[in-house]
Amino acid sequence: MSVARAKPRIRNQIRTLRFHHGEMTQKALAAQIGVTRQTVNAIEGGKYSPSLEVAFRIAEVFDVPLEEVFQYGLSADQLVHESVRRRVSHSSEPDA
Amino acid sequence: MKKSFEEKSVWITLVSMLAIFGYYFVVAARMKSAGSTAVVEFVPLFVSVVVLMVVVIVIAHIVVAIASRPEGRDERDRLIEWRAESNASWVLGVGVLAGIWSVATSVDNVWIAHLLLLFLISSEVVKSVSKLLYYRRGL
Repeated sequence: MSVARAKPRIRNQIRTLRFHHGEMTQKALAAQIGVTRQTVNAIEGGKYSPSLEVAFRIAEVFDVPLEEVFQYGLSADQLVHESVRRRVSHSSEPDA
Repeated sequence: MKKSFEEKSVWITLVSMLAIFGYYFVVAARMKSAGSTAVVEFVPLFVSVVVLMVVVIVIAHIVVAIASRPEGRDERDRLIEWRAESNASWVLGVGVLAGIWSVATSVDNVWIAHLLLLFLISSEVVKSVSKLLYYRRGL
């Protein structure tokens, strides 16, 4: 039996950071980093991974390190899924 | 998610291209079945269709730009453009090969010209549809 491997993805905390910066709007953030509001929306929703330059500009606006804005790897749900997948593949392996 | 000016621009191009060139191909098919055998006979129709399309696209863009101010293009718009162009280039490539094959097998000139035009329009449709999918579903 095989279970699909969870794909790691880039996650971000932009929505939270905007909230902690006086409910900064997507439009205001977009104007500061030099992209359109739709692009900020796409980044926030995980539909677009920005260039390094834009990523650094976002971190600069919120005055935090890049790692606090973007994280790479499995989400909590994906970690559970991956753990189940490993257990299933171990149990279905034939004994040597 | 509210559509950006760029996305609206793609919709304008796609809809006007399908409607106007759809009309062109219907009229051209009727002309062909009525006995038109020279490419030059289709030129006035083709020119008027191209002019009509330019006028429609320009007017529609002006109306949309007045309704919602364009924000300009950024890196995401450019990346979407490049990927969509890459998808469309496959269709155009197949069209060129089909054109060469038609010439090699001595197909009627009217058919060759319209085959090339059909592939050109199809590649533009693929480009526009790709862009819309990338805008909606992400890259």
